[in-house]
Amino acid sequence: MSTTLLLTNIDEPGLCTLPVYQRRGGYDSLRRALAMTPEEVLHELEASGLRGRGGAGFQMGKKVSFLPKGSMDKYLVCNADESEPGTFKDRELMQKTPHTLIEGIIIASYAAGANRSFIYIRGEYQLQADILDAALREAYDAGFVGENILGSGHSLSLVVHRGAGAYICGEETGLLDSLEGKRGNPRLKPPFPANQGLYQGPTLINNVETLSTVPTIIRMGGEGYAKLGVQTSTGTKLVSVSGHVQRPGNYEIELGIPAREIIYGLAGGPTPGRQIKCWFPGGSSSPVLTAADLDVPYDFDSLAKAGTMLGSGAIIVVDDSTPIINVALKVARFYRHESCGKCTPCREGTNWTVKMLERIDSGEATPMDIEIMASVQEHIIGNCLCVLGDAMAMPIGSMIAKFREEFEAHIAAARARRGLGADDAQAYSSALAAQGAAAVGAGPYPGGS
Amino acid sequence: MMARPEPKSITFTIDGLEVEAPENAMLVDAAKLGDIEIPVFCYEPKLGNPVGACRMCLVEIEGIPKLQTGCSTPVKDGMVVHTQSERVRTAQQAVVEFLLINHPLDCPVCDKGGECPLQDITFGWGAGSSRFIEPKRHFVKPLELSPLIAIDRERCILCYRCVRFSQEIAEDYQLVLLERGAHSYVSTFDAHPYVAPFSGNIIELCPVGALTSRPYRFRARPWDIEGAGSVCTFCPSQCNVTLTVRDERVLRVLARDHAEVDDGWLCDKGRFAYQSIHVDERITEPLVRDGGELRAVPWERALQEAASALARARGKVAALAGGQSTNEEAFLLARLMREGLGSERIDTLAGVAPAKQHQLARPDLQAKVSDLEFADTVLVLGSEPVDDMPIVDLRIRKGVRRRRVKLALATSRPSSLDRNARLALRYSPGCEGAFLRALALALAGEDCQTPAQAAGAEGEQVRQLAELLRSGGSDVVILYGERMLAQGSAVEGLLRLASMLELSGRDGAGMLAVPAAGANGRGLLEAGFAPGYGPGLQPRPTASDQIDLTAAQLGAHAMAGGLSSGELSAVYLLHADPLESALPRAQWSHALAQASTVIAHASFLTEGVRDHATVVFPAQSYAEKEGTLVHPDGRLQRLRPAIGKQGQTRAEWSVICELAKRCGLDLGVLTGPMASKQLFEAVPFYAALTLEEIGGRGVRWQERDAAAGFPEPPPLEAEEPPAALPSPNGALRLGSFRSIWAATEVRVSPALQFLHPTQRVEMAPADAERLGLAHGETVRVSANDSSVTATVTLRDSTPAGSVFLEEGLGAHSANALAGAMVEVRKA
Repeated sequence: MSTTLLLTNIDEPGLCTLPVYQRRGGYDSLRRALAMTPEEVLHELEASGLRGRGGAGFQMGKKVSFLPKGSMDKYLVCNADESEPGTFKDRELMQKTPHTLIEGIIIASYAAGANRSFIYIRGEYQLQADILDAALREAYDAGFVGENILGSGHSLSLVVHRGAGAYICGEETGLLDSLEGKRGNPRLKPPFPANQGLYQGPTLINNVETLSTVPTIIRMGGEGYAKLGVQTSTGTKLVSVSGHVQRPGNYEIELGIPAREIIYGLAGGPTPGRQIKCWFPGGSSSPVLTAADLDVPYDFDSLAKAGTMLGSGAIIVVDDSTPIINVALKVARFYRHESCGKCTPCREGTNWTVKMLERIDSGEATPMDIEIMASVQEHIIGNCLCVLGDAMAMPIGSMIAKFREEFEAHIAAARARRGLGADDAQAYSSALAAQGAAAVGAGPYPGGS
Repeated sequence: MMARPEPKSITFTIDGLEVEAPENAMLVDAAKLGDIEIPVFCYEPKLGNPVGACRMCLVEIEGIPKLQTGCSTPVKDGMVVHTQSERVRTAQQAVVEFLLINHPLDCPVCDKGGECPLQDITFGWGAGSSRFIEPKRHFVKPLELSPLIAIDRERCILCYRCVRFSQEIAEDYQLVLLERGAHSYVSTFDAHPYVAPFSGNIIELCPVGALTSRPYRFRARPWDIEGAGSVCTFCPSQCNVTLTVRDERVLRVLARDHAEVDDGWLCDKGRFAYQSIHVDERITEPLVRDGGELRAVPWERALQEAASALARARGKVAALAGGQSTNEEAFLLARLMREGLGSERIDTLAGVAPAKQHQLARPDLQAKVSDLEFADTVLVLGSEPVDDMPIVDLRIRKGVRRRRVKLALATSRPSSLDRNARLALRYSPGCEGAFLRALALALAGEDCQTPAQAAGAEGEQVRQLAELLRSGGSDVVILYGERMLAQGSAVEGLLRLASMLELSGRDGAGMLAVPAAGANGRGLLEAGFAPGYGPGLQPRPTASDQIDLTAAQLGAHAMAGGLSSGELSAVYLLHADPLESALPRAQWSHALAQASTVIAHASFLTEGVRDHATVVFPAQSYAEKEGTLVHPDGRLQRLRPAIGKQGQTRAEWSVICELAKRCGLDLGVLTGPMASKQLFEAVPFYAALTLEEIGGRGVRWQERDAAAGFPEPPPLEAEEPPAALPSPNGALRLGSFRSIWAATEVRVSPALQFLHPTQRVEMAPADAERLGLAHGETVRVSANDSSVTATVTLRDSTPAGSVFLEEGLGAHSANALAGAMVEVRKA
């Protein structure tokens, strides 16, 4: 059930140091890759079918092949700004086996022809950044990074850059702006980073887990790796399971197993007596599924077909002890706080959504507000500069669709607590509007009919 | 020649309409060709690449699942676009609704109301009502973003235009967006005032009422005002402007985009100094000195006094014209002097011989303003654009940023463009001639070490500059400060440079002068207001009784001497005050005091006028005038009256004609256009030109057939050798500059007053350390018994051994010092 590639030996003491890592076969893949031509390495990556582990799930080999050929400065950036709520897989990889990532970066840079690389790590990961720094020093000293690596003629500089605590800097173009020393705002695409990325140069951006998988692919061969998993979702995936489960943590699974096996089999399911109300299959930005969806195969395409996404592979389980409004508020507040403010629908939409949810919670809303809230989510989705707005609108939209009755019940209960009856709810869209209408002596609020 | 983009034409379909458009034009622009408007807020092509932030321009493109931003999608052949579909309408209404969530909707008390894109788009593309009932975001408002600009953050829709202008156009890097998400707001770091030479442009860029002009706030609503197109005459940039007029008062100045002149921007002087038109200090009635005092008198008395004084001084009268004079004024005054009063002694304040200007005014060497943007290499020689011709500074920055133009600077004073330049080279003040000799040697591949040292420059840098000019591509544009022509060998040096770089006749390359005589410096020369030169740069016929005098003997310097010695008794000042100029101050002060008659056309009682004028005619401002100007690149531009005459002012041309008549000369001019017609007939290379042809956009005479009438300059006379670098002896070499703010219009405009400079001495940190001086200290700068007080300003790349003082500051100006070598001591 649990096939380990990345997490093999993960708990071995000292694996974060070069000697132990090498004893376990570390940097053998690098030697093998450097003996191949970059095109051959690229071919292995493409054959592996490896899809990006950061959220978008784009084929990694294809992404590498998009980089223009030529002698210009090319960059490789590792996105280690792991900030998606519920996601903590990259942290474990960087903390326990940093050399796997460094080796993956060197191999990928060789395939892409990049000579400068960066690891952009979220500011809160201080311990992991320190460990990476130490590992990077070892790698430089051993000649794995630097000029003319192992006599191959390939040179690579690698810098660990610490972020300053903004979720948006995990968005690849926001990350690039931040890395360039600017305010971390997403850029308009196109141009895509593969053409004009860091310092306007061609840039390959990949997630920590994706790059950490590269040495394994070289070891197993692309086709060997592709035998794992299912057709369009090959290989293994780290899944961070959190929330109302008995054994939260990181699990490595072969893609395509039923979600039930992860949540109940590996993570132990919710505490006895509790039922699963909903679960996020891929971080807080994925639309929620319910207990009825537990038999969905856990892979990119099956989840997409179920109307959600695999995302970063972070499963958050919510049981029936938690009101759905609390979940929605938590999610919406997070994205409001993290919206960069550059584009209109996200900046204003996240703010508005939080305000509406707060009114629902405080008994100042009517059922009509649910309609407005659902329509606001629709107006955000697909209309923003980057996907941050969608990241709030999709789960909130799914919660409204799947738990409308609970929202309505919550509104009624909250209104009753405030002593507002159902009649008022029909005449006015909200208590606030009613107050406003009363203040100006107006009839029913025009928006409330 | 580096090809300017000439896109091919394609056909695409928009809302069922087949439209032809240039390939890769952005959809919002291409749609206009089919008369379809796609609403935008953040998109502004002048600001460079689109950012796609406001999301107002979402459109549906067949084959692409998501809606796309029309501002950033280049149009392709066969593309099928929908801007009216249900999906698009829903998205547009959603964005309007989102934008209005935090907007206060205080249109009735907002300056922008009535000319506000947010209003227009809400009406055109919004749903008509909002479903947002929560409390809006609040800020303290309005705040002073600067003394010129008020910011109302509640109205702001965070479109980023102002921030992009500051970061990517003016490159002053002052405006930023602080905080995040719905809390974002526009500010400067630490809330310092946003003071910069071009700050006012953000008012015009703002698509809502968030950034408003403090001088204009609450002065008018859009339905009270009229727009009047004209040309700003405060500097040689001659930016095209629209004057906002209400009840015969100019209340605002807006840019009137002209890609070949100003690229759609204005400097803050051009934008705010309109206030000087309506201040109390302005002279609006004729004045005559009576009992030592200037007193207001009726026109008849002033005209009579002036005419009889001029008649008495026949043959002993001289005239000086300032840069704000129109071609017609200068032309008519030259006629009065030459034909009516028998005097050839006319000149501008430039201090440069017209024969030298003639050498470089050749049409085959002339570069256009837009060439600065599309050239391979731009060399700025002896000028600081932001002070001398501000809007060109933005054009150069644009070329470097967007088209990777290679910029080289060769100046004595550090430049604000230094950090944009591939190479910033310094020589000692006044050593242009020697520097150009060194550069010519370097271009010829010879050793230039010693000649470079003679110019106070580094040989290696001169060699690098030569390399850059030679190998950087064939389109080289040289922007040079015309003042340098007064230095020995400078003309010869520039001509040699032009011929070595093969600039003659090359489209897109050439030379562009920053006129020394001010805004219309080129026009004055072409209208014949120059010693020894008639209209159209034709040498004066030898019939005149003063013909044995050389141009130098007729020019400004000789004029001061003549007035002092009594050889001349009267001087006619047309918008010119020698004491406010760069001419030697002590000499002119004496000259004006000695003159028995000083007739001035002036708007303000500047020092020379106040103390010495015997008759003052109230001058018209550019907002009241009609007439023509010549841009430094040869573009004739037309001034159009925007307001009626103020007080008792009369048009200068009519005053000159009246004086001529009283002196027995009929100039044959009854209206402004008749003066223009006479001028066009007198200048061979303006032949058959009409005011209609000049129109609102101007016309470059070099591009007309009549350009063949430009008289070939005679072979260059041997110039004086370049000035030798005096041995330092501990003294410092003096250079001077005139700040953009050192102008009378700035001093009298209430809003701009705070920018009027006080004297500062710019010096190298090493020199300051040697003299024991610190930044900000008050010092006395002295030379040969003359001295001025100044504040020490340290600038890193000032060449060691040189200091720089400002001009245009009255008694404390650089030209108050009698000598090129100065000492600096603590005051």
